[in-house]
Amino acid sequence: MTITSLVFALFCAGSILIYWRLPQRFRILWLFAVSMAFVLTWSWELAGILLVVATVNFYLGRWLVAAKDGRRGLLWIGIGFNILALVALKYSNFYVTALTNLLEKMGIHTGAGGLLLLVPIGLSFIAVQMISYLVDVYNRIFKPETGWLDFALYVVYFPKMLSGPVERARTILPMFKQPKGLDAQSSEHYFWLVVVGLFRKIVLADTLSSIIPATIFLHPGAYAGQDLVLYLFAYAFVIYNDFAGYTSIVRGISGFFGIELTNNFKLPYFSRSISEFWERWHVSLSNWLRDYIFFPTSRALLKRIPKRDAVANLVVPPMLTMAVSGMWHGLSWNFLLWGGLHGLYLLIERLSTLWSPRRLLDELPKWRQALSALGIFVLVVLTWIPFRMALPTAWQYLVRMLTPSAWIKPDFWLFRMYIIGKTQVSSWTEFNLPDVRVFILLIPALLLDWKQYRHKDETFFTKWPVWAKALFLAVLVLVIFLLSRAETGAPFIYQGF
Amino acid sequence: MAQVSFHKKSFWSILILTVTFFLALSAILELVARMPWLEKVSPYRSVGNFDYQFEIKWFRLQDYVKQQGGVDIIVLGSSLVNTGVNPDILAQEYYQQTDIHPRIFNFGVEGMTISPNSVIAKLLVERYHPALLIYVTEMRDYIAGNGLEYETPFLADPWLRNQIGNFNLVGWLAENSAAMQHYLPYRNWVRSDFAQTMAFYIKRYHDTSASGYEPDSQIGVNVDVPPNPNDPAEAQNFKDYGNYQIAAARLDDLKSVLDLSQKQGTAVLVVEMPVDPTFYVYVGGEAVHKQFQQTISSFVTTNGGFFLPSEACINTIPLKGRSNRWHLNYIGAPYFSTCLGDQLAIFTGQHPMNLITTGH
Repeated sequence: MTITSLVFALFCAGSILIYWRLPQRFRILWLFAVSMAFVLTWSWELAGILLVVATVNFYLGRWLVAAKDGRRGLLWIGIGFNILALVALKYSNFYVTALTNLLEKMGIHTGAGGLLLLVPIGLSFIAVQMISYLVDVYNRIFKPETGWLDFALYVVYFPKMLSGPVERARTILPMFKQPKGLDAQSSEHYFWLVVVGLFRKIVLADTLSSIIPATIFLHPGAYAGQDLVLYLFAYAFVIYNDFAGYTSIVRGISGFFGIELTNNFKLPYFSRSISEFWERWHVSLSNWLRDYIFFPTSRALLKRIPKRDAVANLVVPPMLTMAVSGMWHGLSWNFLLWGGLHGLYLLIERLSTLWSPRRLLDELPKWRQALSALGIFVLVVLTWIPFRMALPTAWQYLVRMLTPSAWIKPDFWLFRMYIIGKTQVSSWTEFNLPDVRVFILLIPALLLDWKQYRHKDETFFTKWPVWAKALFLAVLVLVIFLLSRAETGAPFIYQGF
Repeated sequence: MAQVSFHKKSFWSILILTVTFFLALSAILELVARMPWLEKVSPYRSVGNFDYQFEIKWFRLQDYVKQQGGVDIIVLGSSLVNTGVNPDILAQEYYQQTDIHPRIFNFGVEGMTISPNSVIAKLLVERYHPALLIYVTEMRDYIAGNGLEYETPFLADPWLRNQIGNFNLVGWLAENSAAMQHYLPYRNWVRSDFAQTMAFYIKRYHDTSASGYEPDSQIGVNVDVPPNPNDPAEAQNFKDYGNYQIAAARLDDLKSVLDLSQKQGTAVLVVEMPVDPTFYVYVGGEAVHKQFQQTISSFVTTNGGFFLPSEACINTIPLKGRSNRWHLNYIGAPYFSTCLGDQLAIFTGQHPMNLITTGH
């Protein structure tokens, strides 16, 4: 069941209606039941794995409190278990071939398909949530959950199960027990969150994604330099609108259950510094990395070298944090480089504060804010190259993009001849014209972001008059219907992490 | 305890207004799509079917019937018909032999075997009531599973399902909304390959004549040289066509085409395409071909149709008139069309029928 499908909409509507008719003591049970039903539509194996993960972490949390000694060891066992589960299941492609070969040598045949392991969707998100739960319990920031059902719901809660947000137990578990009430204002807010999410995913992300040639990230050498630049910018908007769209939809849905999820995206492409970018991009994971990698590393280093400007104190925390972020996305060199580049950006930003005192971004002149935002946007877009491609291809992409001779002049004369019917072409790429469709889609994408930024309100639509809201919805339904006629439609990108 | 309270009035007012705006927008688009100038700007129409060549033929036939007042003979088949039968030459030859000038349309579509063609035949006959349906066939039509890659998506199309009685809104809209029909050729504007495929579509649209014929400019090389089973380039053909057998399901499809003469009053003539004789090497030689002819001939006549074997025209086609072992090119098509016109005259002489329909 995909979350942009009509079946999912009906599933949610039914679940919400029944949820609010139940007494509070049955609501957690109901949420657990519908979440499990949702997981089962993906696979029963996934449901089994999630229940095992939930049960192990539930008891580890309780033992962490009950244990008199050996708590530290127990914590590491818990962290190890979650990392091992993630690596064993998600990154099985790294070792399955070797394992199959070894078994074959030992005379154990694995069958025609070899060893096929399930790749549980959402496990990366769940693993980090479980680690934060155990660490919080260990640090006595949060008392362990005593009810298995509540804890299992924290793991399988369907709006956040596929791709987060990465929620802390200490914020979400109390909401399960005491959900917020729904009134006309909040209902409208959640409704528009879903609408904005659908707009971002179906109209912007999916459409832009299908416009980008499938082979451009495999064989960049076959494309003109200007196309590489254009489609790279298009990809930057694909990944952003895809993930921001997903988050918006699930936040809206969860809101209807009275459970507010973290806003993962706060218009990141308007960031005026790299550290601000990480306060606006994938916020829940960034906060997790800050609290469980960056701060502990900084504290540990400061204990050893109590000087803030010591090289190790400056370099290690951002580089390690971003390296972990890269590896969380995938155990490959390209993700490591992506994280490394962001770590480097953060490091340079930190170093710059050594020479000149840091000024509040809002206090900078507007033109400097705009220039900084543009610069940061370009730097971030460049990091999408290793994020999207294997390293040799990424290098080829970058080099070709920056080679002046790879930029081919558009053939306006040929285009004019074709338009007036004086010539035929076998392919429109012969014109070397920029893909105008990208610009057509970037306009509404930028307009939406700009409006949200200016109004400082992601559901600014709620302030519109009723007729304007209705007109927007009617146009949106029409556009989605027309787009649905094309043979496209892609799963959420972050579902793969 | 947390409670829920919705603002019912505001919810309903937004819903009703949204529906009203949606309907108003759709009506405006429909109005614009029905204006004559749009036809000039963008003559392309589609019902959203995956097979764009089928759609070219479908709308070309609609225009043909609008201009001619009806259609008397529809020649149905695969790409062999598309490039191999020129209806204008066929009609002219028939006229010279009989003084009757029938209105003939070529509905040959690439990749269509007897299986999807049995569905298309029913649609065409029910809609246009031609006097005669000429189904041009060949041995590959009856191989189980052959052409499934075209057939499966073609038959799954909402418009087609709606046409054959499985009502669905999308299919209904594609059939009845001019706005949809004018939008659908561009429906894949979001795809990276849109520019290439659209340019190709436009070229083929303009290459297809008003009577549905699309000439092929390629001239085949070594078409008359028998294929070598040891040649790796031929391995797939030997694999696909060797151990030739007629699938029972495909005969059922042929029967449903033949049944149209009983149910709709349209006579059905099954014509065997004169493919190059070297093709029969793949299927096991001329003996297998003869066996095929006997089976199909007796099946067709038993079920109320008429069968014309390939021998009638094969010697009229020059070697350079072929683009490969199966297809005729722009040189070969006139020869075959002329021969078919002669054979049709003989056939209608033997089986008198009124070929000129009054309309549709």
